[in-house]
Amino acid sequence: MDLILILAVLLSLIGGIATVSVRSPFDKLICLGILTSGGVLFMVEKGYLDVAICIALLMPIGTLFILLLLGKKQEVPK
Amino acid sequence: MEESIMIVEGICVVIAVYCALRAVFEKNTLLKFPFLNVMNFAVTGAIVLLLPYPITIGVAIAYFVGSTLESNAIASTISTLEAI
Repeated sequence: MDLILILAVLLSLIGGIATVSVRSPFDKLICLGILTSGGVLFMVEKGYLDVAICIALLMPIGTLFILLLLGKKQEVPK
Repeated sequence: MEESIMIVEGICVVIAVYCALRAVFEKNTLLKFPFLNVMNFAVTGAIVLLLPYPITIGVAIAYFVGSTLESNAIASTISTLEAI
């Protein structure tokens, strides 16, 4: 019970700081995935398992929308 | 029995943190994905091993499917953009 809280704190800190400091947009998405895994672990540790299921299934949908926008924005200048 | 379960949890936590650090500090973008996948596997293992409730397996399955779909979507978009 204690180890999962340590893991959640470490993953959230690593993902958040890296998301702020990294420049490339795809690297930002990867670091955002690390941050989201930390957030899911916080909810699992508190016992909200249904909320954790919902977030884990909705997380890739948001990433897909950001990826569609990135693809359009990078194709237009070429 | 209790001691061995704690050791396995500790190994999963250490692997997750190490792979998160490697994925952050890796220079090449495509080389980040193996570390990201290993981190997701380790987090799934930690979720399954650390909580005693039966719904936990549902959380683990949902997290596994979602994280794999996300990283595969990013990787396929990068390869498509580089091919253009």
